Amino acid sequence: MTDITFPALSKESPAAEGVVATWFVADGETVQADQLLAEVQVDKVAAEVPAPRAGVVHLLIAEEATVTQGTPIARID
Amino acid sequence: MTITESPVVPAPRGSHRLTTAKAMVEAIELEMERDPSVFYLGEDVGPYGGIFSSTTGLQEKFGASRVIDTPISETAFIGLAIGAAVEGMRPIAELMFADFMGVCLDQIYNHMAKIHFESGGNVKVPMVLTTAVGGGYSDAAQHSQCLWGTLAHLPGMKVVVPSNPHDAKGLMISAIRDDNPVVYMFHKGVMGLPWMAKNPRSTDDVPDGSYTVPIGEAKVVRTGSDVTVVTLSLSVHHALDAAESLAGHGLDVEVIDLRSLVPLDRETILGSVAKTGRLVVVDEDYQSFGLSGEVVATVTDIDPGMLRAPVARVANPDVPLPYSRSLEYAVLPRQDRIEAAVHRVARE
Repeated sequence: MTDITFPALSKESPAAEGVVATWFVADGETVQADQLLAEVQVDKVAAEVPAPRAGVVHLLIAEEATVTQGTPIARID
Repeated sequence: MTITESPVVPAPRGSHRLTTAKAMVEAIELEMERDPSVFYLGEDVGPYGGIFSSTTGLQEKFGASRVIDTPISETAFIGLAIGAAVEGMRPIAELMFADFMGVCLDQIYNHMAKIHFESGGNVKVPMVLTTAVGGGYSDAAQHSQCLWGTLAHLPGMKVVVPSNPHDAKGLMISAIRDDNPVVYMFHKGVMGLPWMAKNPRSTDDVPDGSYTVPIGEAKVVRTGSDVTVVTLSLSVHHALDAAESLAGHGLDVEVIDLRSLVPLDRETILGSVAKTGRLVVVDEDYQSFGLSGEVVATVTDIDPGMLRAPVARVANPDVPLPYSRSLEYAVLPRQDRIEAAVHRVARE
């Protein structure tokens, strides 16, 4: 099991909040390593979240939800 | 075969979900890998990745000699691209906003568009001019225009305007491989950018690997029997939303995504209007002297008798785009205006 966390886009404020802008995979989908999972953003800075390894992905956060950086947003089993 | 059939040969292949912006980047990446003569240049296209994410990650992958950040001098770098194209390369030059064409129009319409003609067909200009268009996000009068009617009016350039990830990728590959200058106009509202208004139609499955969408072929994106809506770009999304809503009122709306302006797929327009007898043209560009009139003339030039009701045009009413959100929404061809127009045409 691997947790995927919201990346630290704001270095100055570690508690910065961001939005899970787009999920490119569905809950329960089998993904490959490095496959694009999500695009997230803090203010106008966006970043891609790739899969760290292959497996079945479980989405923990809804699209467009706001979370603090470092929060787990998905899990790969 | 009719021209409205899906132009993509369905091959057994996988697909993956992308935003329109990422699909555009993927197409450029595939062509740059395949053909060393392809390169990209423009303002903020390097580490920044394009202000509307048209080049994200490309400089990191291909280096600063193939993805070139230019000074703010559109005349100079579009001229550079034309020269490189004449010498056999396949440059893609990005004009950050179509609104800025005024500062470099001589290079575009007197040189890029005319060299082939003036050389008696002996000199080709195989380049792509990409540019961001459209409003809806309060960027006001100098950063919100579509202006595709202007470029389509000037002879010598092909003009393509994708509305979704699939077409953005396939049309980009076609544009790069075309031996003519192709203007590739992407609406900021279809790019799927996280900081723009959420638009679910801007993220979709895209076939893996390389494929082309032919330039000059429109697509019937929703079939219907009562009214034909001819449109393009972000307005396709608004028209589909309107069509879904109107279906609840017993109106069956056909929606045509033009995808290309030059060449214009008049056959698909005529085929649809011959069936429905009722036409609404939705165009985010200025109404007068432009695309909407051209689409109507496409029908009336052939047979005005096809029309069972006067046509309706839903376009920008010839005013600069206002900054104020409420005023801007009042002049843009959004879902409410499209629905009203369809009702009006269907009643006649």
